[in-house]
Amino acid sequence: MATTTMAPFRCMMCGHEYQEKVVQGEDVERSCPKCRSNSIRHLKGTKK
Amino acid sequence: MATLDKDSELRIGVFVCDCGLNIAGAVDCGAVCEYAETLDDVVCVVRNKYTCADPGQNEIKHAVREHRLNRVVVASCTPRQHEPTFRQCVLEAGLNPYLMEMANLREHCSWVHPGDWDGATAKAKDLVASAVGRARFLEEQVEMAVPVTRRALVIGGGVAGIEAALELAEQGHQVTLVEKQASIGGIMAQLDKTYPTMDCSI
Amino acid sequence: MTIRRKARYVDLHLCNSCGDCANVCPVTAPDEYQMGLSSRKAVYIPFPQAVPCSYILDMDTCLGNNPIACGKCADVCEKQAIDFDDADELVTREVGAIIVAIGLDVYDPTEMDEYGYTRFDDVITSMEFERLICAGGPTMGHFVRPSDQQRPKRIGFIQCVGSRNPKIGRPYCSNICCMNTIKDTLLLADHYPDTENFVFYQDIRAFGKGFEDMFQRSKEAGTRYIRGLPGDIEEDPETGALIVTVENTTSGRLERHELDMVVLSVGVVPAKDRDKIAGLLTLSKTSDGFFMETHPKLKPVDAPTRGVYFAGFCESPKDIKDSVCQAGAASSRAGALLNAGEIKIEAITSVIDPEACSMCGLCASVCPYGAITWHKKEVATVIEAACAGCGACGATCTFGAITMRHFTDDQLLGQVRAILAEQPEEKVFVFACNWCSYAGGDMAGISRIRYPSTNRVVRTMCSARVSEEMVLEAFRCGAPVVLVSGCHYADCHYIDANRQTVKRVQKLWDKLEKAGVRPERLQLEWISAAEGQKFAKVMQQMEDKRKLVTPDEIAHAREALKPKKKKARPAKKEPAAVTEATA
Repeated sequence: MATTTMAPFRCMMCGHEYQEKVVQGEDVERSCPKCRSNSIRHLKGTKK
Repeated sequence: MATLDKDSELRIGVFVCDCGLNIAGAVDCGAVCEYAETLDDVVCVVRNKYTCADPGQNEIKHAVREHRLNRVVVASCTPRQHEPTFRQCVLEAGLNPYLMEMANLREHCSWVHPGDWDGATAKAKDLVASAVGRARFLEEQVEMAVPVTRRALVIGGGVAGIEAALELAEQGHQVTLVEKQASIGGIMAQLDKTYPTMDCSI
Repeated sequence: MTIRRKARYVDLHLCNSCGDCANVCPVTAPDEYQMGLSSRKAVYIPFPQAVPCSYILDMDTCLGNNPIACGKCADVCEKQAIDFDDADELVTREVGAIIVAIGLDVYDPTEMDEYGYTRFDDVITSMEFERLICAGGPTMGHFVRPSDQQRPKRIGFIQCVGSRNPKIGRPYCSNICCMNTIKDTLLLADHYPDTENFVFYQDIRAFGKGFEDMFQRSKEAGTRYIRGLPGDIEEDPETGALIVTVENTTSGRLERHELDMVVLSVGVVPAKDRDKIAGLLTLSKTSDGFFMETHPKLKPVDAPTRGVYFAGFCESPKDIKDSVCQAGAASSRAGALLNAGEIKIEAITSVIDPEACSMCGLCASVCPYGAITWHKKEVATVIEAACAGCGACGATCTFGAITMRHFTDDQLLGQVRAILAEQPEEKVFVFACNWCSYAGGDMAGISRIRYPSTNRVVRTMCSARVSEEMVLEAFRCGAPVVLVSGCHYADCHYIDANRQTVKRVQKLWDKLEKAGVRPERLQLEWISAAEGQKFAKVMQQMEDKRKLVTPDEIAHAREALKPKKKKARPAKKEPAAVTEATA
């Protein structure tokens, strides 16, 4: 079973930060829910 | 075909195209030419009204021989349109087609920056410098030829598939037509009459 | 290509289509050919003119060859053509060219409940109309309505059901429905001059040869054309008549029409199997779901995958004549390839230097084509004929062992340095893939969409070719901002190579942040070949971002990103390299 988790993302274009579900092994194109940009950074593990 | 001696000096020719007024209307092509002359390894700069037309291509061929060019930069339109044209042109001039590079002064510059004469000209210069920067490292390439199996597969037995298969067979090729239903005919076979002739579909 | 030849359970060559089998078959099932308006047996012929003209046994409904259960057809068949043991068979065919002509599916109007297709018997689709008016149809061509088998006198046609309707995700014109309805009204006028026909439409598109003439004849024959699509259909509980309410947008009045039958002129949708075919042949689709051609004007039948061509509806909605034209064009293109006998592969493929290869196998793991062979503790090798030249391997290899012919590191870095040699702070640096983003830039040009002239584009075949080093070098040369752009996920010309781009940009963001460089200076966008507007918008956004970058920031990045002193290449570092990239 694929596991689904919520993960934090940040749009590098407009700065919008949001949570989105991530399914293990998924193959999806991400875009910012606010500005539609594809410059989406997965924030996991980058806060150190 | 002349082979390139790796140790020989670089001799780059730059061909700047006006494309009528398509480029020259928004970019100072004269200034671009002058700039190109200042770039390292550039030994010849030619400005053309239409580089893709026969006279323009002849200029390239002529310059390749006259100046013993071993790299060619064509500053005109998108390589997605005329790269095959100019590759063929330098091939006819005796150069390996992979020694030609293009700078896109039209789709990526003059057409999108009309009225911004200085900005567009500065950009055009950079695009030429970029192409020359790349051209310095271009190498001859040989394309691999892969044999083609002389049989075609047509997927779908509707009107388009049937027609394509028949046409290919008429040309003398072996054709395999694949249809998922028990009969060919597709959705067209379910129609009663078809426009504009009002005759039967089958 | 491996093809599954489905079992027919009736020998094609022995069957003489006498029909004795169907006469004794006790099973009845809905007849798909007649849109379920009549029934067939479990052993049946799809339609009288079927090719191959042989019966077929539908095993899903057949009772089976069990003497207790049935087996009657086999008993009665004089030719002994029925073979219950028939099985699917896999056939392998090597081919040099493929024509994709998978056609269309018809729109199912169930979701547009306002028209009550599933609630009212006498609301039918245009496909059902075809069967009802056809002499070979379930009613032998006597046109009657389903509810009471009476001939309808007042018939309404509703256009654009499933077409030009963004609300249901079908914004495109289906091309054929206007003319099909015009044809239907002429058929009715011819067979039954006393029927009254009403057509509810938003625009009549009768642009082909002879089409306008048909439209005029339909009007002369008395068909009323009412501009406006009905809001809903109701049934009069007393008379059973269908009440259609419509705003006539020509007169501006609300009209109410009492009709005996309503035909929904249904649009078309891309064939269900298209994703399967797209996956097999690495094809991409336009936003409406039809297959994308190499160039909409100049290469309208070529797929971006060489040797594959399109014919018919699968490329875009078109009528019979256009399908025939495109089929001719596709076969001519395919024929030229087959006649040439060989295909030249563009010399942009990957070359591995066995001396420099560290045998880590990373390249093989990122190749979308499986064109790189690698075994543990062995040097990787490229199968040139299978390599498409995306360059994902070249950008991934950290040992400099891979050269992408004609898109070498030297060539691309040469461009970076040349562009940023003077006044780099005034420039927006862009990497664009050949197939989508660069083409999107071309589209902006063709459409004359203006954007700031500060951008400088370097073309790679795929965004996955853009290595860390290239992006870092741009910053080292003083680029204020860098954009990496490629195809949308669904369109990636190299199957899924651009997933490597995402991984690399994620890594770069981390790296920049660590070095004290604002990661926002690096951006990632997917821009398709059709998105000239988006290309221009992104260039404007990048220009806005550029203006926010200070000279100090640029100077800091130049220093902070300087390559560390090259360590001697660790000979046994492969496992570490693997985890680093997959993490």
